[in-house]
Amino acid sequence: MTQRDIQHLYWRAGFGILPKQSQQLKSKSRTEIVNELFSKSARVTPLEIDIPELKHIDFKSIQKDKEALKKLGKILQDKLSDFNEAWIERLNNPKELLRERMTLFWANHFVCRENNTFFAQQYNNTLREHALGNFRSFTKAISKEVAMIRYLNLQQNRKKSPNENFARELMELFTLGKGNYTEQDIKESARAFTGYSHDISGAFKFAKWAHDYDEKTFFNKKGNFTGDDIIDLIVQEKQCARFVCKKVYSYFVNTSINENHIESMVGVFYPKYDIEDLMRFVFMSDWFYEEENIGTKIKSPIDLIVGLNQNVPIQFKEQKHLLTLQKLLGQVLLLPPNVAGWKDGTQWIDSNTILLRLRLASILLNSAHISTKQKGQFNDRLDKFIKRAKEKQLPFNVNHDWKHFEQQFKNVSIDDLKNHLIMVNLSTETQQLLDDFGKSSKQEHCIQLMSLPEYQMC
Amino acid sequence: MKRREFIKQTSIASSLALVPSFVNAFDDILLNGLGHKRLVIIQLDGGNDGLNTIVPYRNDIYYKNRPTLSIKSSELIKATDDIGFHSSLKPLKRLFDKGFVSIINNVGYPNPNRSHFRSMDIWQTASHSNQSLTSGWIGRYLDAYGKAPYDAIEVDESLSLAMKGETLSAIATNNAQRLFRTSQEPYFKSIINHSSDAHLSEHNLGYLYKTLIATESSAKYIYEISKTFSSKQTYPNTQFAKQLKTTAEFINSGLQTKVYYTSLGGFDTHANQTNAQSRLLSQYAEGVEAFVNDLKQNGTFKDTLILTFSEFGRRVKQNAANGTDHGTANNVFVIGENLKRQGFYNNIASLEDLDKNGDLKFEVDFRTVYATLLNKWLNVDDEKILNHTFQKLNFV
Repeated sequence: MTQRDIQHLYWRAGFGILPKQSQQLKSKSRTEIVNELFSKSARVTPLEIDIPELKHIDFKSIQKDKEALKKLGKILQDKLSDFNEAWIERLNNPKELLRERMTLFWANHFVCRENNTFFAQQYNNTLREHALGNFRSFTKAISKEVAMIRYLNLQQNRKKSPNENFARELMELFTLGKGNYTEQDIKESARAFTGYSHDISGAFKFAKWAHDYDEKTFFNKKGNFTGDDIIDLIVQEKQCARFVCKKVYSYFVNTSINENHIESMVGVFYPKYDIEDLMRFVFMSDWFYEEENIGTKIKSPIDLIVGLNQNVPIQFKEQKHLLTLQKLLGQVLLLPPNVAGWKDGTQWIDSNTILLRLRLASILLNSAHISTKQKGQFNDRLDKFIKRAKEKQLPFNVNHDWKHFEQQFKNVSIDDLKNHLIMVNLSTETQQLLDDFGKSSKQEHCIQLMSLPEYQMC
Repeated sequence: MKRREFIKQTSIASSLALVPSFVNAFDDILLNGLGHKRLVIIQLDGGNDGLNTIVPYRNDIYYKNRPTLSIKSSELIKATDDIGFHSSLKPLKRLFDKGFVSIINNVGYPNPNRSHFRSMDIWQTASHSNQSLTSGWIGRYLDAYGKAPYDAIEVDESLSLAMKGETLSAIATNNAQRLFRTSQEPYFKSIINHSSDAHLSEHNLGYLYKTLIATESSAKYIYEISKTFSSKQTYPNTQFAKQLKTTAEFINSGLQTKVYYTSLGGFDTHANQTNAQSRLLSQYAEGVEAFVNDLKQNGTFKDTLILTFSEFGRRVKQNAANGTDHGTANNVFVIGENLKRQGFYNNIASLEDLDKNGDLKFEVDFRTVYATLLNKWLNVDDEKILNHTFQKLNFV
């Protein structure tokens, strides 16, 4: 496989690749490399943070103690930022790279927002567990997750007073897409999900008294359907496979959809709904490596932060700075804007985020300085600029590990650096710009490259 | 030097030769001159208790439900025989008496959501309560009618969803000089100068380049116009008033911006509401009065409309902690010089007919307020932006 194809694969299936590793893979075939991605993600390593308050908890007794319950609720809410940090840490140092990338993808498919850290963590690990599994069982598991039950009001969904929130989003956002079901289908399926509940420990509980056992009519079929039956009926529709494949394509391949590619994906995905089979098909396809799909995706804020960290590891001295950065860039993990999730692509970009994105590498790694020293000329303004940059308070307080960069890029020449950091083919104008500025050191050139709009692409 | 000449010169001096026409920020002023209609939005975060803001002081149900939180009629500023303003709203009442305020009561939406986060999302995107949109209502206004990011400014550090469109988003700044300096980073200038047609035509990468160019141009425009005006009005010493002062400077300097977005937070008064709400309402009313005076003195008030909203009101019945819990419908204030309906636009909410949670049943859909502002004030096709037909109201 060529270096560029390897990089492309690793940007989409992971968060980029370092020169040393891509060098090792170069001699291998596509099949070998793709197989390795999957075999290395076969295991599931749950992500858990330390919540000492939960260690020896007796859920039964605490249930009666209102004060203790309230206190615990507050603690669990405060821990959410710890979990946010732990998740990013996991993305920076994944054991199962592809599984982590898929988990991130599914978190923006089965979108959920949960303030209780314990429940949010459980949800997150359910995403991780099913990330490469079977979409049908995945959807069923999600419908029984406490976080989802709370988020989309399944608890308020009772016989005779159904709440349609979950049923609607299940079809509109999770499985079929708008226009592929009727309002009547929503009403009837909401009845099938009545009685979904949970206990205080976060386990699913089915409240028989609240369930509507009467006959329902769904997709022109009659029966005493349960929630699981409804999901079975939904996945029987080929449209469900098509909907999920489009979402996968738009995230992993290209936001502009090629219908032929979608149809061939559906051929693999339907009717088994095996996510691993689908992803393997995508990564093995020739079209995945076509030029129009390489370097044409705008990095999400998390792609940007995690990708940068691959090259030069950074550590925020204050946790709240990492949160602020996510907020300013427009993506705080665990806090999606609404059930539709974050919209990928150009939606990340506005006047404020573009400026921060382009300045990010210099702010985090180089005291906000980007070298513009012209070849052979002394730039007075530049020195003033450096001085000012050092004087002014930087918004983020970080430690950076340039040693890691120097080691990983040891065998990469300064002129070759761009081929490892940038996925877009640079135009002659941009190339000219870089040549004009000169490359005084690998580190400075790295900052220059990371400050190009082209670096925002993967 | 006259402002127009100044603008003309700076536009030639800047590197706009490469810039596609849609970001050319300066034509607008030269062609249209000053005096366009603009909208200022004030968002009260956390759910302001509307019932203790505009108080039905002859209503027994109000006093029964709020044994410790209700406000005695003697402590209110009376507006009519049965409605009084919270005593912190004296400055707002002065504007009200001049006919500059229209209070729309009982504004909400069907199937109300009582989560801050979700309800704010609904207000900001103008969605139905069972619908999730990824663009804001002002953002979609920009998509359809905007030319550059500076068409709408959020006086803050980052953009709210309300201000994000699909193809064009607003720009956020509470310090035009800082934004300008950031955009003037020499490296970025070089990138802009080296951008080519090939860059701009590419799908996603082109969007990055175009946004960078538009940002540089908007930041420059905002800074260079706004620095020509410095407010002489005295404002209270609060964060909120500072936002309004910045907004007034933007407006009075002649920026062609159509929409400004500001916010005041802290209204989530579950416990010990009385003092907290008093303090916040003072900040609000004093800030707004200074702002209106500032605009009036500079002849810009007549073309400015100020909308104040909160994501929901609060429950009629107070809770055990001397506070109130999340409710539903609420009052909305519209402030301007030539209102068609001054004073109370409609009757205050009924406290007799509540929903099963003990909350108000809304009467006016908030999107009819938006539709009115878009259609009758900003003179655009509201249906194109709201994707739905809403009845228009008669306050402007």
